[in-house]
Amino acid sequence: MSVQDPRSPSIAPLATVGRATPRIDAIERVTGRAKYTNDVQLPGMLYARVLRSPHPHARIRSIDASKARALQGVKAIITRENCQVVWGAGGIAGGQQYNDDVKKITTQRRYAFNNPVRFVGDPVAAVAAESRHLAEQAIRLIAVDYEVLPFVLDPEAALAPDAPKIWPEGNLAVNNKNEPAPQIQKRGDAAAAFAGAAHVFEDRYSTAFVHNAQMEPRSCVAAWEGDKLTVYTPTGGIANCQHDMARDLGIPDEKVRVVSQYMGGNFGNKNQNQDADLIAAVLAKEAGAPVKLELSRKEDFIGVHGRWPTIQHYKIAVDADGTLQAIQLRGFSGMGPYRKNSGAMAGIELYKCPNIDVTVTPVYTNRTVSGNFRGPEFPQGFFGIQSMMDDVAWRMKLDPVEFGLKNMARLFRDETPFTNYTLDECITKGAELFEWKKRWRPTPGSDAGPIKRGAGFTYMMFRSGLGQSNAVVQVDGSGKYTVFVGVTDVGAGAKTTMALIAAEALAVPLSRLTVVWGDTDRCPYSVGESGSRTTIQTGSAVIEAARGLKQQIAEKGMPSGSQTLVASASPNPKVADGKVRQAFGAHFVEVEVDTELGGVRLTKYVAVHDCGRIINPLAATSQILGSAVMGVGMALHENLVYDARSGQPLTAGFYYDRIPTHMDAPDVDVTFVENDDGYGAFGAKSIGEAGIVLSPGAINNAIFNAIGRRLKDLPITRDKILGALA
Amino acid sequence: MSGDESTNPDISRRGFLVGSGTVVAAVAASAIEAPEAAPPPAIAVDPGVPHSTIALTVNGVAQRLDVEDRWTLVEVLRDRLGLTGTKIGCDRGECGACTVLVDDTPVYACSQLAVWMDGRRITTVEGLSSGNTLSPLQQAFVAHDGPQCGFCTSGQIMSATALLKRLPHPAASDVKAALSGNLCRCGNYNRYVEAVVAAGAATGSGGGEQ
Repeated sequence: MSVQDPRSPSIAPLATVGRATPRIDAIERVTGRAKYTNDVQLPGMLYARVLRSPHPHARIRSIDASKARALQGVKAIITRENCQVVWGAGGIAGGQQYNDDVKKITTQRRYAFNNPVRFVGDPVAAVAAESRHLAEQAIRLIAVDYEVLPFVLDPEAALAPDAPKIWPEGNLAVNNKNEPAPQIQKRGDAAAAFAGAAHVFEDRYSTAFVHNAQMEPRSCVAAWEGDKLTVYTPTGGIANCQHDMARDLGIPDEKVRVVSQYMGGNFGNKNQNQDADLIAAVLAKEAGAPVKLELSRKEDFIGVHGRWPTIQHYKIAVDADGTLQAIQLRGFSGMGPYRKNSGAMAGIELYKCPNIDVTVTPVYTNRTVSGNFRGPEFPQGFFGIQSMMDDVAWRMKLDPVEFGLKNMARLFRDETPFTNYTLDECITKGAELFEWKKRWRPTPGSDAGPIKRGAGFTYMMFRSGLGQSNAVVQVDGSGKYTVFVGVTDVGAGAKTTMALIAAEALAVPLSRLTVVWGDTDRCPYSVGESGSRTTIQTGSAVIEAARGLKQQIAEKGMPSGSQTLVASASPNPKVADGKVRQAFGAHFVEVEVDTELGGVRLTKYVAVHDCGRIINPLAATSQILGSAVMGVGMALHENLVYDARSGQPLTAGFYYDRIPTHMDAPDVDVTFVENDDGYGAFGAKSIGEAGIVLSPGAINNAIFNAIGRRLKDLPITRDKILGALA
Repeated sequence: MSGDESTNPDISRRGFLVGSGTVVAAVAASAIEAPEAAPPPAIAVDPGVPHSTIALTVNGVAQRLDVEDRWTLVEVLRDRLGLTGTKIGCDRGECGACTVLVDDTPVYACSQLAVWMDGRRITTVEGLSSGNTLSPLQQAFVAHDGPQCGFCTSGQIMSATALLKRLPHPAASDVKAALSGNLCRCGNYNRYVEAVVAAGAATGSGGGEQ
């Protein structure tokens, strides 16, 4: 039962932090005792269902709910006619969540119920009834008269002058100033560099819509006591969800309590409220009873959000020895009909390059809404640019590892130093552990026989910035310490991480600590679990609160009897000297491609990461393992496919979307290069998103090395491999 | 039945945690997680729809239940009996989050009508432990960081419990095949396989039972 410790010990060990520790709530999670949202049952609770648009784009002429209303046991029905609640976080210009000012200037509002409806799955009505079967029956009795409108699915097609307009202003998505404008980044003079370059290469890559597909289908339980609303919901950010609910419903923050004790996976865009939360709250008010709203798996796939699909046109200039001279990107992101997030593409910053010319255009389409999904703009962009650069290396007859080490950025955007820099170390260590020289084929596709092997690699950096968060630490008369943090613990182990950090900072055994989490009535504001920043930000707040408490204990002595000592902290630290703080990593993959059947099997997987100091090696390793496997799904399987003629989603659900199973998961070898740059909680950097950004590109590069054909469109399914080989 | 399924009383949580070299003791569960009294049944039979009386043995306890004919097994377990450890991930036989044992066979409880289960013996994740005394398999899941979000965990454990009954010392490939119907979006498959192999290796007769 020994657990392998993947760390390379390069920094001084601490007493508690850094020891492989089972989660403090693991017993709850393996016995079925952990209470997730749908496990909440309240007396007199009603069940709710949502009626959704069957059309990708349509105007609602009328809704007749009279038959549903007449059904005995139906307690409330809401539609656009009697519910005009705006879902602020669902369609914010520029995707500037947590920013009330931006929400005020947004003219393209997303309501809980919209008219026109703009994608298959847009909510039209909702019913609360005495049982879920009755609610389903009632939904089927609601008659909606639609005027069907023309629709558009493809981002490039949506920008054509004669494309159907999803908003009156057109299909170029508005930014955080409510202006339709692409994202532009320029450095040097790319046009001159292309004109004078020894070699210029151009290509097009694309990535698909990948659904979050967390195992827990979205649900919400809403209950009013007088004018106070309690919402049980799966959210990674109880405080932001509370504020969103209050703003959208027009009530003070303190009249909303958000509880999220256990959450069945996050993976992005859940540090806020959801339309399901608003619909449940309005139904509960209308019915005068608690309401549990449950989304089916299909509704969760089409009605929530996933990773924005991209089209990426690259043009790269190199000089005669393979040194980068210019990078041009013309990118298009499909946002669905509401701009929930940025639609950006990361990856250019991985390279040292004097001339950069990037235009990324977020576009409205009549598909399911796109949002932040684990490393929001990274896996898409990294897949494109790192496939492209692997191809450039091959055309320049260079080993891609050498090409990477030669051309990678050692300053952020070629100008700003990092707090520390270990990308070289991650790459060289990974190459050594993987036996790169042995596994990589100098001539792609050179294996004899129908089963061919090849190797590929990618490297990355990922933001690990500092920022504000809050924590409260208390000790009582019995010597028991309690840490109050507004985390949910979406699966990454935040509760345990906070306990380890507190135990270290207080210099007390873990067994004397309790963590209180996931309830806005009991916890201080926390930044919320998104952006891989809970350990860094909320962890730093825990350290500072613990220091304050230790000081109080030093001054007043330990409390006795019913006394308690309490310390709170809201630090907002900054990195000194304008430096940039990033986590680093490299993944090396060997694949076996069946050139007769088109199948891909991963036969070796090495992941090396510098995530700063590792607080809990057990949970940190699981984060890398899991995100690498999630990247396998993005690389080889997942795509919410739409029928071009009807605008209908065809692959909603686990079976057709084919998220990875036990049979698809490679054995991943994880190694951490540990460093303490003096920031974060004991030097911790981001982990949660670091793994997924690397696997799709590494897998694609390995497939190229195996078969000598470059695949350019995710997911790399069998038909595409066989097509490339034909 | 719950007696058969519960764990070796000699292997307490404390003992197993101390026994694993790189693992330090866990914090006691928070007070707000203290086990609560079972909630009232969330669903009641609508006399206006077809319904039947069935006999089930659930975690060793004989039950006679009036159920609507349209109710699935997972609805009865969760909403009638309050056994919410069994999760609904898709409600259409795709993900395995609702896996329970019917007699000794793992089945998707979302895809069985309750009336079909008349006379059968059902084991849910709640039937594997007694208080904080976990089955060796559950202990291995804790030690190997099996659950990330934990939503698929009950299903993984039930499929693995059935595997260990049939094959007490499985190889990794056996585990992958047996658990291939249990999806995990956290992607923690390496950990689940490690845990099941370790549970098999650690016990004389397999990790799923004494």
